[in-house]
Parts: sequence; C-alpha cells; structure tokens
Amino acid sequence: MIRFYENRNIYFGISIAIILIGIIALFINGISLDIQFKGGAILKYAYNGEIDLNNVDAIVTNTLAREVSTQITTDLVTQQNNLVLNLAGNEGLSVESQQKLEEALKNEFPDAGFVLSESSIVEPFIGKQFLRRGITAIVLASILIVVYVWIRFKRISGLSAGVMALVALFHDVLAVFITFIVFKIPLDENFIAVALTIIGYSINDTIVIYDRIRENSMLDRKIPIEDLVNKSITQSLTRSINTAIAVFFSIVLVYGFAQYYNIESIKNFALPMTVGVVSGCYSTICLAGPLWVMWQKHKQKSQKAA
Amino acid sequence: MLRRKSTFFIVALIIAGITYVALFGLKFSVGSKTIEIKGSGQMRFGIDIRGGVDAVYEPKDLDRKPTDAELEQARTIIETRLDAQNILDREVTVDKQNARIIVRFPWKSDETEFNPQEAIAELGETARLTFRDPEGNIVVEGKNVKEAHAVYNSQLGENVVQLVFDDEGAQLFSEATGRLVNQQISIYMDENLISAPKVNEQITGGQAVIQGGMDAKEAADLASKINAGALPFSLTTSNHSSISPTLGSGALDVMVKAGIVAFIAVCLFMLFYYRLPGFVACIALLLQTAGQLLALSVPQITVTLPGIAGVILSIGMGVDANVITSERIKEELRSGKTLSAAIRYGYDRAFSSVFDGNITVMIVSAILWFFGSGAMLSFAYSLFTGVVLNFLAGVTASKLMLSSLSQYKFLRNPVLYGGRRAAQ
Repeated sequence: MIRFYENRNIYFGISIAIILIGIIALFINGISLDIQFKGGAILKYAYNGEIDLNNVDAIVTNTLAREVSTQITTDLVTQQNNLVLNLAGNEGLSVESQQKLEEALKNEFPDAGFVLSESSIVEPFIGKQFLRRGITAIVLASILIVVYVWIRFKRISGLSAGVMALVALFHDVLAVFITFIVFKIPLDENFIAVALTIIGYSINDTIVIYDRIRENSMLDRKIPIEDLVNKSITQSLTRSINTAIAVFFSIVLVYGFAQYYNIESIKNFALPMTVGVVSGCYSTICLAGPLWVMWQKHKQKSQKAA
Repeated sequence: MLRRKSTFFIVALIIAGITYVALFGLKFSVGSKTIEIKGSGQMRFGIDIRGGVDAVYEPKDLDRKPTDAELEQARTIIETRLDAQNILDREVTVDKQNARIIVRFPWKSDETEFNPQEAIAELGETARLTFRDPEGNIVVEGKNVKEAHAVYNSQLGENVVQLVFDDEGAQLFSEATGRLVNQQISIYMDENLISAPKVNEQITGGQAVIQGGMDAKEAADLASKINAGALPFSLTTSNHSSISPTLGSGALDVMVKAGIVAFIAVCLFMLFYYRLPGFVACIALLLQTAGQLLALSVPQITVTLPGIAGVILSIGMGVDANVITSERIKEELRSGKTLSAAIRYGYDRAFSSVFDGNITVMIVSAILWFFGSGAMLSFAYSLFTGVVLNFLAGVTASKLMLSSLSQYKFLRNPVLYGGRRAAQ
C-alpha cells in the first residue's frame, strides 16, 4: 500500500509549482486569443520566386487602409513558399476587399503566381459568441458531473467526492491552458476540444478510483479513511498507469507524425493533449483521493467537536 | 449458450465482417432496391481536414432585421447557385436569431481550378429572376412578381404554384402570354433554368398558375425560388475562410497514418501485458474502431479535427475498459479464485466503474451536443457514439469472447491471464 494521503503535501507542492510556472509564463508570454475567438483576418498565399516584403506591406496598407504584419514561411515537405498576411485589428474583411487586395498583389508581382492557400476571416462578435458557447458548455458539463457523482456515490458522501473530482478536473484544464501559454499557442477551438477531451478522460479516471473506494468501504466498514483511500488507489494504480501509457503514447505518435509533416493544426492539438493526459492521471491519483480524505477528516473533527 | 466454445468464433467473425464493411463499404440489392452502406472511404470530412469554404453571410445595407421568410428565400438563392455549380455536398444553415446564413462546403475530390473568393462573392449577389420567351428575350422580371406560393389545387387535382404580378407585371405578362400561346415561358434565376411551363392561354388578370405534375415539395421549392427573385437585399460576408485542398488532405493523411500506428502499438502493449485478455481486448478495440468509423460514415456526419479528438478519447476509454477488466481478472486469480470465477467476478466488478465512467462522459457529450456549435458538434457526436460502442465492444463482446475462449483446455492456464503459475 502506498501512502498517498500522507504524502499529499508533496503532490500539492508539485501542482502549485506548475501553476506558478504557468502564472510566470502568463506574465511573460501573455494570452493570445486566436482570431477564431477575437476576430481578425489572416490570408495565406502560395507563390514562386522572390518577393519584397516591404513592398507587400505598402500594397496592403494602400488597398485596405489597415496595418499588416507579413511573414514568409516555407513548407518543409513541398518546399512551397507562402506569404502570410495578418491584418491588424479585429475586424473581418469583405470578400470584395479581399479580391481587390489579391489583384493589387498580382499586379505588383506578376511572376510570383499568387494562389490563395488559406484564409481565415472572423468577425469579432461571431468569435466571441463561439468562445462564450464553448465556455458555457464546459461549465454546464462540470456541474452535471458533480451532480451525477453526488447521486451515484452517495455511499462515500457523493457531494464531496464530486467537488474533489471537479478540483482535479480544474487542475487538468489549467495544465492544458498553461501548455498553450508556455508554448505560445494561440487559444482557438483546439483549446476547447482539448479541454473537453481531458475533462472526459480525467473524470473517467477519477471515477474508477471512487468506484474502488466505494467497493472497499463496503467490504471493510471499520477501516480508517486514509487507509481506505490509500488501499483503493494502490489497487487501481497499475490500471491508471497502463491506461495513461496507452493513451499518452498514442497521442505522442500523433504529435510525432504532425511534427514530421509539419502540420501546425494537429501539433497544436496533440501537444496540450499529452500534457493533459499526464495531468489527468496525476490529479486522479495524487489530488482527488487525498483531498477527499482531508474533507472527510475535517467533517469528522467538526462532528466530534459539536 | 454464452459460454460455448464456438461463441468466440461467431463474435470474431461478426467483428471481422463489421470491420470489412467499415473499411470498404458494402453494396447489395434486396429485390429491386440497392442498399449501400458507406465505408470509411466515403467518409465526409470537414473543411479543416479536406479543405473548402466556410462563410457567414448577412444582409447588406439593410436597416431592419430581415424576416424569417426573407432569410429562407436568401437560402434558396444560395442553394440554387450551389446546385448550378454542382456543389451538392454542402451545409447551408439559417441562423434566424442573428439573421445570418452559414454556408460550408468542402472541395470536391477532383477540384483543381476553383477560385474560393469569387465563389463566396457570387453566392451573396442579388438574385435576378427573369421570365423569358423561347428566343431568350426577357418578358417579365422578378421584381414584378408580388408573390408566389405553392397550393394544392383540388380542381386540377395536383400541386401548383400560384403567381401574383404587380400592375406592370400583369400587363407585360398578359402581352407575353398572348403572343406565346402553346409555347414555353422559361423562368431563370441568374442563368439557371428553374422551370419552363407551357402557356395554355393568354393570362390577363395578373394571376397565373404553374402546373406540371409537381409533388408538394417541388411546388414549394419553385415558389420559394420565384419569391427569392424579389428579395430586396443582397448578402455580404466578412466572416469567411477557405483552406486549399492540398493543405487539407495533408492533415488527413497524417492523422490516418498516426492512427494506424497508434492502434498497432496499443494492441502490442495489451497483448504483451495482459496476454489472453489482451488478445481479446485487441479484437474488441477493432470492433469499437470499426463501429466508430461506421457511425461517422453511414449517416455522413461531417468529421472535423475535434471530431477525431472525440474518436481518440472514446478509443482511449475503450482501452481503459479492457485494462480495468484485465487487471481485475488478474487480481481475482491472485486472490485464489478459480479461472471461471475470476473471469466472472472480473467482469462484474469492473462493470460498475466502467459504467459510471462512461455515463459521465456521455453526459458531457450530450451537453456539448445541445450547447456546442460548429466543430464541437462533431466532437460531441463521435464521443457519444464511442461511449455507446464502448459498452458493446469493451464490455459485452469482450466478455463473450473471453468466457468462450476459457472453455478450451489449453487456454485454461492462469498464466495466460496474468495469474501465478498454479496447478489447475
């Protein structure tokens, strides 16, 4: 039996340290919302040969009366050059203006053979609505999880179990968020998808432990509460770790492939997911159980005092 | 019956069949009807994977909120234009609350010369509805149509479209029908022919009826197209994105490759770590994956990157269900139970945790389905179906297979189940 409860301060320390790192990173890197949420316009053109970026700047500013940041990227696999235009401000861009811009670019660089390869143009209010709905979904799902655990785990005083499971979930979403911040990945719909995936994964993980606690509490009614939790977690430990290994390596593989073929969207999605999986496994074993014991012990003490 | 030796082979055979259909699809005829089950090859991918166009249109220069009927007409215009471009795989949705029309369509597989900006701009233009004589001369324009509606005419015994013209329209139409008795008047939206009724007699009252064996839906469609010609505004968009087909297909290839390698790696891990239950788990996972593919490809759900995240999560939970059970069987064996008791208790005791874990995830996915939007819907759908499949594959199918296999004498050695070597 491993003494998870007795070692709780170490685990809490680790988690707090990670959160501190996240806060420091937040001050250094700041939060960057993707234009999916805040609105804006990014255009990506494939082209051949050489172009002068200063010229591009001038053309965009002249045609659209908007500042622009330009960037040239080269696709590692196809060796294709791309011109990325990130228009300043959060407004969208009408198709007519976009066509005008493309014409102006083609006139200036007739040999470059500009082809639009990607455009992403979002009105700020549509982006905000999208963000709001995503967050509403996350919050509602969290509440319902607590209610379900409350009902199903009445035997081990379900409300506290549900709340502690939620603390573990919050920890995991925070870990995912910190990954986005530390690696400077703009928050986009991937963030919502990854956060939801990790919530699903972590709640499943936590419930398996609770199930074991529930079962063991019926087998031995006199067992001290910390021993009950330590025993239950130890019994499920191999399972927790094996599942985490299987999922972790699957996602690492996805990340590896995306890295090799340089597919940004998948990389930005797989990296926070690997962190979330590790955090999900860790928070279940080291946080949810010990925290629940603390709550129960506190309750016993106040009952005795009364 | 469930514990018979042959059960394993029956279940495995069914799984092999489902996997085959999931990969390659199936086409067969029952009598005169051909039934086609679409396999993963015909899966429908979202524009983040396959590339395509996504645009949100709103009325241009309109100082009031458009009515629901007007939005529906605007949608009809867009649908007709997409039809004309032969873009049939598309989603056109009206967001009545915010007075917007959302259009999404992926590239066709053979798309090479296609200008997304032009397409987006053209879809929003004001529709021009014209009535033309056989020589192609315009006789009446859409702006002269007051209204069109589909009704069932009991005298004629069929569905018809009733047209009401304004004064100018009535005059022009009367002249034209007088000249063109027994000829056709063709109705065009932009340059697309939408109907070509024959003139039976001169129509003077400014009210006409188009008949011609339409069913109720065809009549309603035609009426809506004619009304759309009188729509008082055009549509514009400053919220649109496009992803080129080459960029899109790259992401898909990578996901497929990574998925196959990850699946094999997980199976090897299960096989080495859990031996016989691990072997059964691999087959169960195959069922879950195949079922998941079918759940996406048969109803032609649009699969996006978050949708694939949902698939990864639910397969992860499938692995978990198998790991929990295999661990439990091992534990029961080591506590001294006989093999059959260990298998029975293993599944029974593992079930309550698999059940609670999966139901909570089901709740999460249902919430997303109702409150999410866009790409989140795909995530919710694949997660929900994945969890349902998890019960079927990770619990029922794997239990049937393992119980059946354990009937074979040479498979009764506890070592195969992770137990200690013991005399049986």
